[in-house]
Formats: sequence, structure tokens, C-alpha cells
Amino acid sequence: MRENPTFGLVVAGVGGQGAITIAQLILGAVWMDGYHVLQSEVHGMSQRGGEVSAHIIFSKDPVMSPTIEEGDADLLLGLEPLETLRHLKYLKKDADIITSMTTIENMENYPSSKKILNLLKSIDGVKMIDSDLIAKDIHFSHKGNMTLLGYASNYLPVNEEVWDKAIKERFKNKGNKMVDKNLHAFNTGRKLINNENSVYQ
Amino acid sequence: MKTNKLLLGDEALAIAACDAGVKAFYGYPGTPSTEIFEAGEKYVKNLNDGRIAEWAANEKVAYEFALGTSYTGYRSVVTMKHVGLNVAFDAFINSAITGIQGGLVVAVADDPGMHSSQNEQDTRFLADFAQLPLLEPSTPQEVYDFTVEAFALSEKLKLPVVVRLVTRLAHSRGEVFALKTSLKPGSVGIPPTSEIYNWVLVPSIARVRYRELRKKLPALYEEAQKFNSLQTFQSAQIGVVTSGMGSAYFHQYKKNNNISDEKYNHLNVKAYPLDINLLLSLIKKSDAIYVFEENYPYLEDMLIPYCKGKCDVHGRRDQTLPVDGELNISLIRQALENRQLDSIVDENLFAQISSLIEIRPPKLCEDCGHRDAFNDITSALKNIGVDDPRIFGDIGCYSLGVQPPHNAIHTCVEMGASLSMAFGAAMAGMSPSIGIIGDSTFFHSGMPTLLSAAKVKLNINLIIMDNAIVGMTGQQAPVASDIAPLIARATGFSEQQIYLLNPLPQKSEENVKQLEQIFMRDEPSLIIFKRKCIIAMQRKLYLSEKKEALHA
Repeated sequence: MRENPTFGLVVAGVGGQGAITIAQLILGAVWMDGYHVLQSEVHGMSQRGGEVSAHIIFSKDPVMSPTIEEGDADLLLGLEPLETLRHLKYLKKDADIITSMTTIENMENYPSSKKILNLLKSIDGVKMIDSDLIAKDIHFSHKGNMTLLGYASNYLPVNEEVWDKAIKERFKNKGNKMVDKNLHAFNTGRKLINNENSVYQ
Repeated sequence: MKTNKLLLGDEALAIAACDAGVKAFYGYPGTPSTEIFEAGEKYVKNLNDGRIAEWAANEKVAYEFALGTSYTGYRSVVTMKHVGLNVAFDAFINSAITGIQGGLVVAVADDPGMHSSQNEQDTRFLADFAQLPLLEPSTPQEVYDFTVEAFALSEKLKLPVVVRLVTRLAHSRGEVFALKTSLKPGSVGIPPTSEIYNWVLVPSIARVRYRELRKKLPALYEEAQKFNSLQTFQSAQIGVVTSGMGSAYFHQYKKNNNISDEKYNHLNVKAYPLDINLLLSLIKKSDAIYVFEENYPYLEDMLIPYCKGKCDVHGRRDQTLPVDGELNISLIRQALENRQLDSIVDENLFAQISSLIEIRPPKLCEDCGHRDAFNDITSALKNIGVDDPRIFGDIGCYSLGVQPPHNAIHTCVEMGASLSMAFGAAMAGMSPSIGIIGDSTFFHSGMPTLLSAAKVKLNINLIIMDNAIVGMTGQQAPVASDIAPLIARATGFSEQQIYLLNPLPQKSEENVKQLEQIFMRDEPSLIIFKRKCIIAMQRKLYLSEKKEALHA
């Protein structure tokens, strides 16, 4: 263990999915909780359905690199299964992997989704969450990401009140109703840690 | 400005400029530099104290706006991506000779790895060529600090100062402590009468001014020296030279692995031009030197001649690092330790993943009008017997027309090249010759070709994909809209040579028929496909205009 360890997190998804929003939420929460942070984002052509990812690094010591070395990340949050596979190379051997199960097949040569999900299931440390289905259950179908983030929050050293504050801060411009919905989706995801039936591992 | 925020490198530059009392932001959009101006625009609006944020038609014009503001004694910043500096190069290089009045900061964002560019040219070479100082930060905090210092330095040396970012810094978000006080824009005055001729680069004055610039070089070295640092240790035999993101990665590499600073002699370069004595001191203390810089071997090439027979230099030249692409910590570890970290992906898993990972390329949006326009164009060409069309393309979302099923773009070189290449091809006998350009790119540098095209009796077809927005870089407002037909008329195109088409699926049949006729004529034509950007519509960016969903 390093004296003040550096924690590396990768968020991966498809352009338009909100991966950068999720990453910025995490970044803000970790920072509010007293860590030094840096995040690398992908901009440019990303909104046109291509791959999108963000790296987040934080530590109690100052951090300088905004990207994570391959094999050095502690956690991967995959908003789409193929993107989860693509970013596995960044992870340490004992890293945690939290991934959505909903594929976005916006390309002609999209591989067999069954093969992807089966391969993911076979990897140690993978937690697969049908976040879109769960979000639908709570009548907030396009917020699977927030459910996934809620679950992932169990793996991040951030206090619950800080998450609350970060989410409120992020969505306050969109009105109280949006804040409440996002908080609800987040908390639903967060509680999945106590309900192993909803998590495929 | 309040202290302590999470900011992108780009945003840090804009805030720093405001805090340094900048009067004006000018620029042309280009990833990864766009957010500098956009942040500046936001702050200018919030501060509401008479500052300016103005997109220009292209980078050269933007640069000259900044130089004009500087002439009045105010501070200005001009933003662009690396290839934008090529467009502004004439102004850039000659502004070194005129010198400046109010501080002028040239914010250029390079794109190593070509995330969204056609090359990965290194701005340090351009600054060197112009004999201008360049600062190279490696964290958002340094972007802030260096930008504030750049204005002071610019006024001290009476020269423009370049601040060079790269994609990983421009688009990195981190903590920035800003100054507690923000300066109001103030003027140091226009050039005094005694200096009135300094700005007139007719040969007799230019010779004098150029000599003056050369005389400033020692001062440039001296100023740069204040940013650069050399640490040597008795115990260290290996030297490392870093700059920009190379410094950031090398620092993190040592930190993550508990490697003592004393293991390496370290020359950390943050400002240019670099005093050769720093390199010589490092060479004296080292048996081998590694160079980690983004992204051309600039420092490495400086070093190599002095190291001959004394020590080995490892970097991009000897393939210790790849000759192209971005640096990262993994490459630094590979260079220094000749190994990589074990990841969760072992050989077995790698084999299984490799067969599944397909690239997911960006593509035109589902309901994008460019799709329909490409379809109309290629259908019309097919119908008149052109089975293997070659279409000159340009820079914008429509570059994605290169992909199947469109297969409708066959060149993409630099801003504006579509129309002029189509002209050159038509002159050499290509018929029909077709160039496709976006509305913003047309205003950027496509327009001059109209002047030549209007005069020839050739089958040359200039097509503007007009969505009345700068789509690719995030839907900025273009400098102008709806005036292309007027301009074409003024250059000599007749009413009958200008066509407005609406690229909607239900109009396709009609459009194809008309294009068939146009593509058969031995005369120049200007074809404008008009349909709004779907993303901009979803973001309600056209709302301030007329309520109609599509303008035709």
C-alpha cells in the first residue's frame, strides 16, 4: 500500500449516454470530500455516438496525471457492456468492475451481446446491474446511469451526505423535481448492495 | 473571481485572462481549444464590465483582432487549435516584429494523438520559428498561473506570448486556486509618437525592427530560465528531461511507485526558448538521458548533438518511445523499467476480448440533414453514369461522409481545401468536379475560391452544407448566415447558377433530378443544402431566430 494511495477510476460509455455528466458528479463529490482530484475527459466528436471515457484520479496527496496507467485503475464504471470490455485493460488485477447490461448496438458489426455479457460474467470482480430495468421500475427510465452510480458509490470513499450535496448541486438548475428523481435513482442503486439478487456477479 | 474551483485547463486559461484584466477574447472554434473562448465568453457576460468575446471568421482574422486591441493598449487573448496557428501564421510571425502594446496571449491547443485533428504538429516549433516566448503548463493550476504571468511577460518583452496546451490538459478538470483579486481591463495607451513607425513593416523599418527582435533574445532566455528547473543529485546517473504533460506523467509515475526524486537528475522545462546551459549541466551529470515531452522530439533534438560521445539520449528518435501519439505513464514505465503493469486482462482474457472489441466510430446523427444531402449527391452522380465519384471534402461533421453507406467524401486536408481542390481538378479536366464545404468553413477560407470559379466555363460544383451553425465543435454561432448567395452573385455567379436545396427525405427525388442536370452543365454552380443541425435544434439554439423548424 502506498502511504497516501492514489485511487484511479474509469467511466466508459457511448456518446450521448451521459458518461461525462456521471464522471463530473463523481469528481465533484470526491473533491468535496477533501481529496485532490484530476479528470481527463473526451470532447470533440464524442457526441456523435462514438466511444466516450473519462479517467478520474484522486488522492490525499496532490495528483498531476489526468490519465490512469494501464493496469493501475481500482474501479471501472461501464455504462455499456462493450465499452466495459474495451476499458478493462486499465484495471488492476483485484479491481472492481460495475457495468450496465444494456447494450447500445449503433454499429453494423456489433458483436454478439450474449457473448459479451457471458464473458463479463466470467471475470472476477464484475458486478452486472440491469440498471435500465431498475430505473424503469422506479419510473425514471432514462436514469439508469444514476442507479449505476448509486451502486458504484459503495465502492468510493465518499460520505453519503456529500453525494447528496453533489447531486443537488448538479441538478438544482433543472428544478426540485429533477433533483428528487436523481436522488431517488441514486439511492435505489446505492441500496442494491444489500440486495444481491439484483446484481449479477 | 472566487478562489478554488474545479476547472478544465481551457477554463483555467479563460479565468486567468479575466483576472489579469483582459479586455477581449477572440478566436475560431477548434477542438481542443474551443472551451477557452466559450468560458471566456461566459465570464465576460457575467462580469459585465465592458469586456469583449468575439468569434472571428478564421484564426488569422481573430489574431489580427487581438493585435488591434493590443495596439489600443488593452490586453487580449486569441484562441485556436494547433492547425489554426497555420492559418494565423502570417499575423503571428510579423507581430513578433512589430511587437505589441497591450499584453497579447496566444492560446494554442495542440492535439497529440490526433483525437480530433488531421495532424499532431507541435506549436513549440512555430513559436521558435517566430522567435516568440512560449509557456508550457502541465496542470490546470499551472495553466492559470502561467496565463496570468504571460500577460505581464508580454508587456515586459513587448511581444506576444504563446501558452501551449495539449488535449489532455485542455480537457482535464482539476482544482485551481485563483487570485483573490481580478483586474479591470485597463489600457497602457496607444503606441507613443516616438514609436509610431514601429508597426509599419515596410522594408526600411522592418530591417530595424527585426534587428530589435533579435536583440530581445537574451531577455527571452532569461525570462524562460525563471520557469525552468534543473535538479541534480550525487547518487543519480540517469537524467530525465520533461515538459508539459511529460512532467505530469513523470511526477505521477514516481509518486505512484514511491520512487525517490533523487533517483534521477531532472530538467523540467516549462518555458521556451530554453537556455542551452541547462542541457549542458544535465549532460555533465548523466550517463543516459530520457526525454518525455508532448509530442514532437523538440527538446530531444536540441539535446542529441551535445550528447554525442558523452551520453545516450532515449526518446522518440531511438524508438524508446513511439515516434507518434500521446505520452502516458505506461510508456514512461516501459522506457525506464522495460516493463508494464500487470492488468486484470491476462493472456487468456486478452484473447477472448480481442475477438469482441470492435471500434465504435462516431457517425452522423440519425436525423442529420448531411445524410440526405450525401444521398442526393451520390444518387444523382450514379444516375448520370459516375459510378466511382471523387468528391473533395472539408473539415466539419460532414467529414464523416467518408464512411459507408455515404462514401461521399474523398479528401479532407485542411480548412477550405474542398472548393479550391475542386477548382484545381476542374481546371485539369475533371468533370463534374465537386467540392463540399460547411457554412462556417466556407466563411473561414472557402470564399476566395468563388472569385476564381465564377470566371471559368467549367463543370465545377461548389456545395455548401448550410446548417447555420458551427456543428462539430459544439454548435457555436457562425459569423454570418444566409449571405453565401449574395456573395456568389457579387463575384459573378448568375442567379441561374445558384441553387438552394432542402435535404429532406421527402425532397430527395426532386433534389436528385435537379442535381443530375446541374452536374451535366459545363459551368460553375453554387449549390446550398439548407437544413438545421439536429443537435442544435434539440438544444433549442435556433430559438432566438424565426420559429420555423427548417429554413428553406
